[in-house]
Amino acid sequence: MKIKEKLLGTAVGVMLAAAPAFAQEVQLFHDKGFWSEQLQSVGDAAAETTGVTITETPYANAEQYKAFVQASIASGETPDMFTWWTGATFAELVSSGQIAPLDDLWDEMINSGGYGEASKELFVVDGQTYAVPLLLARWVVLYNKPLYAELGLEEPKTWDELMSNADAIVAAGETPFLATVHEGWRGFIWFQELMLRMHPEAYNGLNDGSVAYDGQEVRAVFEAWSDMYAKGYFSDPRSTEEFNDYVRGAGAMYLIGEWAAGLVVQAGVPADDLGVFIMPNAIDDAPAAVIVEGSPLVVSVDGAQDENVMKALRFWVSDEGANAWGDATGNYIGNNSAEAPNAIVAEVNADIAETSATAYLRWWEAVPPDLQGELVAEMNRFMLDPTMKTADDVMATMQTLNAAYWADQ
Amino acid sequence: MDRAAKDKALLDRIGIDQIARNARARRRGQLGLALVFMSPALILVVGVLLVPVLFNIWLSFTKWKKFTGFGEYAGFANYERMPGNPFFNEALINTAIWVGASVVFPIALGLGMAMFFRNLRGAETFKNIIFIPRILAPTAVGVLWFYVYAPDGLLNRGLGLVSGRDVDIGWLYSDATVTPAIIATFVWQTAGLVMVLLLLGLAAIPKDPIEAAHIDGANRWQIFRYITLPLLMPTLLMVTILSVLAGFTVFDLLWVMGANYPGQRSLALAVFMYFEAFQKGSWAFGSAVAVIIGLVVLCVTWVQTVLQGRVDRMTR
Repeated sequence: MKIKEKLLGTAVGVMLAAAPAFAQEVQLFHDKGFWSEQLQSVGDAAAETTGVTITETPYANAEQYKAFVQASIASGETPDMFTWWTGATFAELVSSGQIAPLDDLWDEMINSGGYGEASKELFVVDGQTYAVPLLLARWVVLYNKPLYAELGLEEPKTWDELMSNADAIVAAGETPFLATVHEGWRGFIWFQELMLRMHPEAYNGLNDGSVAYDGQEVRAVFEAWSDMYAKGYFSDPRSTEEFNDYVRGAGAMYLIGEWAAGLVVQAGVPADDLGVFIMPNAIDDAPAAVIVEGSPLVVSVDGAQDENVMKALRFWVSDEGANAWGDATGNYIGNNSAEAPNAIVAEVNADIAETSATAYLRWWEAVPPDLQGELVAEMNRFMLDPTMKTADDVMATMQTLNAAYWADQ
Repeated sequence: MDRAAKDKALLDRIGIDQIARNARARRRGQLGLALVFMSPALILVVGVLLVPVLFNIWLSFTKWKKFTGFGEYAGFANYERMPGNPFFNEALINTAIWVGASVVFPIALGLGMAMFFRNLRGAETFKNIIFIPRILAPTAVGVLWFYVYAPDGLLNRGLGLVSGRDVDIGWLYSDATVTPAIIATFVWQTAGLVMVLLLLGLAAIPKDPIEAAHIDGANRWQIFRYITLPLLMPTLLMVTILSVLAGFTVFDLLWVMGANYPGQRSLALAVFMYFEAFQKGSWAFGSAVAVIIGLVVLCVTWVQTVLQGRVDRMTR
């Protein structure tokens, strides 16, 4: 009997001891399956440091993921921790009332000296901050240093220098810029950049209905864009291998989020061959500016009450968490006391510090979600036939959609 | 004792009430047993089919709000929005093109192949090869043909070899070619099944009338036109209805092959519905589009039932 009691007591003791270990797991829902392994490596690092494992739970595509989160919130089962998008769609999410404000955590982050107020701005809705960065990527131009050296080119500081470099690259029989319509979302990349560089005063107005998509500012952008196509500056928009095209050296410059730098190096481009610059402004006296893509990591109201969830979140924004994520992916989360994930990020940080560049939210996130897909499809249509005739039609369609949307608000 | 009283006394003696009660109890028991055996199928049909369909219909009459769920009752507002949406109108036209093409081409090709292979010796290998695309997943077929149609793909290279110059047509990127190109893939995938179904139909046609027509001096066209074709009508009708339904609900090929086409959302109603519901999050509007698709499919099925009855009576 005594033996039985001892065994039973031991079993209960083991179960009690093990229970917290099983419970100390936080699921991180996301739609970024291409980073599953890397996210889990940060999750495992979190387990080592805090005892709380972050278990990544991917969804196959953005549509399925959005449907899952919307349905979960509508049914009162908001996931404890998940990723989302910044901009208008983020404000929609916050309006559900199910997302926890994280101002206290941000106070800690800023007081620690690692994060700046500017990083926080992306996640502020009605004066409160509702997320920490999963990613903060500045949209920059990666360029082929050996080709630049071979042609005797310098990093452009002005728009004219950029165009002059492009001319030289065309003259050498190479393609200056890579730009494709692959996967349907890329059409806005050059549109937003040209808009910001040519008409920064109108950039934000596109996303609140105050600037028309068939107005003179947008027309000027399409004219410049069409002219660049006519000069042979861009790669075939039908390529389905934009990223590999750069790795293969099929294009000299690649306008993309800085997250691509790590991938390019992983794909075999020597880090020393990769240069970076922020696109120069096309008009004089315009303040330095950079487009920023922010990916928010949010916790639910219930999740914020869970000690394990908050431990996991604190680890994510810590130097150790940022380093683990940076090592795994080359991604930057705005933590300047952590190590820069790679030389490209370090250089962009230095450039921004030197020029005090103003951050502009990426068009993709800033545009109302109801318009996002339809407008970018029109931009893709222009890229496939980059004439002003198509541009006129594209602008008219975009403005019809834009006007109808804002009239309904 | 009158006759009625005598009958009642007789029935009481036999115990007719007890027999009826026993029969009712037995039927109840059988019904219960039947329900037990049917329950897996019933649960599946109700849970996976009926409930979602009813939920979808209900959703289409509401103002669904992202993250908060059902809004107030919206009446027919979601349905009234459709005609004013340019993408819906375009999708409707494209769907009509799809329905027409998915009937005409697979049946014409399938019938031609069925007639050709019907009495051909050693045709089994060819039949199997022609049927293979049907057993491939549409997504896999879409990926395969996406690369065939790529600017540097097999088709352009083949055309280049034939024409002796570089061919650089973006088949899946242009308004003029994207739908015909995907329809060609659809025909490639479905013609084999149509051929097999029509071969079965042809095998079921009795030989006597054909031999009699031969003796009467009918030529091959006359035999086909006046004997084979009418007797093949039940199979042709079934194949036509299946083709209409396939053309009306096509999604996978358009989703995969049209991924880089700027007008992908209006390639067909099913794609338009997906974009509205899942990309834009307009679940209520997307549900309304789904209801319209469902109604058309129901109508087609009803027409099939009516026509099938008539054809059966004609050919009996």
